[in-house]
Amino acid sequence: MLRVEGLQVSYGRIAALWGVSFDVGRGELVALVGANGAGKTTTLKAISGLLRASAGSVRLEGEPLERRSTVEIVERGVVHVPEGRKLFPEMTVLDNLLLGGFSRAARPHQRARLEEVFAVFPRLRERRRQLAGTLSGGEQQMVAIGRGLMAGPKLLMLDEPSLGLAPVMVEEMFRVIGEINRAGVTVLLVEQNTEHALAIAHRAFVLESGRVALAGTGAELLANEQVRQAYLGI
Amino acid sequence: MTRQLAPWLAGALLLAAVPALVESPFAIHVCILVLMWTALGAAWNLLGGFAGQVSFGHASLFGVGAYTTIILYLRAGVAPWWGMPAGGLAAALVSLPVGLLCFRLRGPYFSLATLAVSELVKLVALNWESVTNGPVGYLITALPPLRLFGHAVDWESKTPFYVVAAALALAALAATALLRRARLGAYLVAIREDEEAAEAVGIDTVRAKVLTLALSAFVAGTAGGFYAFYFRYVDPDAVLGLSLSMEMVFIAVVGGLGTVGGPLVGAVFLTTVGEAVRERFPSGHLVFYGLFMMLVIRFLPEGIWGRARRLATGLQERALRHGAA
Repeated sequence: MLRVEGLQVSYGRIAALWGVSFDVGRGELVALVGANGAGKTTTLKAISGLLRASAGSVRLEGEPLERRSTVEIVERGVVHVPEGRKLFPEMTVLDNLLLGGFSRAARPHQRARLEEVFAVFPRLRERRRQLAGTLSGGEQQMVAIGRGLMAGPKLLMLDEPSLGLAPVMVEEMFRVIGEINRAGVTVLLVEQNTEHALAIAHRAFVLESGRVALAGTGAELLANEQVRQAYLGI
Repeated sequence: MTRQLAPWLAGALLLAAVPALVESPFAIHVCILVLMWTALGAAWNLLGGFAGQVSFGHASLFGVGAYTTIILYLRAGVAPWWGMPAGGLAAALVSLPVGLLCFRLRGPYFSLATLAVSELVKLVALNWESVTNGPVGYLITALPPLRLFGHAVDWESKTPFYVVAAALALAALAATALLRRARLGAYLVAIREDEEAAEAVGIDTVRAKVLTLALSAFVAGTAGGFYAFYFRYVDPDAVLGLSLSMEMVFIAVVGGLGTVGGPLVGAVFLTTVGEAVRERFPSGHLVFYGLFMMLVIRFLPEGIWGRARRLATGLQERALRHGAA
């Protein structure tokens, strides 16, 4: 469904990606893992149009995305849930969610999708009138993912959803991500929590210094000696 | 619905009663200034308060409106009451390329770009003598006769100008209230809170900002047209000065950023006290504005209106809790 080939991105004269290639199939949960600064977030930003690639291609069902604006990319169903949640803190939970469903394609489905989001995250229904900035970290991450789901994504890209969460919340977050995927949403997951990410991913790609260093199924990589030493500390 | 309209009706009635209650022409003049500044503060607030885009160049939009109105009248015989909306349209048109350029920049860089644009506009007005008369500017010696409801309008009295200014201020505040309920209003608050997140959820942030700037420019330009109509004199210093841009910022900040009633409160405070200081020292009002602005930012960051509204909801909630207990 999504095919990324030879993606290169630079910040000024510093190259961050040196030709990253991978693909995501329909209905899959694919993880991008790797150390700090490996280029995981940069890859997501280049796919969603927040950054411009200097070379390479991004195709969604064969259609090139690399020259499209973020607005057009969201309209086509590729939704990026940015790192650090990036909520609108002075708005209520409800308004945050509704803003995710304002694109032209999503507008008619707003009510139904809101119910779906509340079904996935019942806690958000209780908190819907509260200002998003006053929620706990885990709840804020729920709002961020819920806001992404409001757009009705074909491909949901999650950047570090477990960042800064309490251990119990981390477990819950990965469970919910698996659930969203089983409900039919294709997920591209960027994580530093390699162990959890590989455990729920169908396939995964390990990024190292702006290149794909390893690829395989989640289970294969979990068993891989190199991965275990470098990323799992075992 | 009636509850939302009630304060507007009360405000309109109060405004309508002023000319009957106030006799002194100076007092009416101050009311006219307050209302004109309310419209200007509201224009700035649309962009600065809601979208968080701090412009230091709104005087240029005001000036384009003022020049359009006065040139249309003196060179083409278009009456100023038609010239005012034409001035608004001209300012909105000018704002489109300016917005497309300046909105590529964010935060302080955007603010500096607007400052540069407004100085550019002033230089053009000073030097493009065939159109703008350069530093000399334009003077209206006589306004065209107008008959309304069987009476000739007396342009020597302040009342007709008061009515126009009141309509302008009400329209600007109503536009703010409508924007706040519209989808665009939600987009703007999202942009103010986190521009990258707003883009990530699929908001066309440049389009939203350019549209808002055009709306803001229309209001500021129309107010500029009113200035030309009322003061009958336009030159680069009078309508394109940096201090005009700053006064719009002061009024919006002092009143309360991103609120509907804020510009009115800010204009009442700054214009009345400002006029009193101006009588004693020339340009003294600017010193006072600066001082007042510092105090407000230090002690009332949400502005006078913002704080009052929060106190009011706090009291209501307390009353409700006591009622329930």
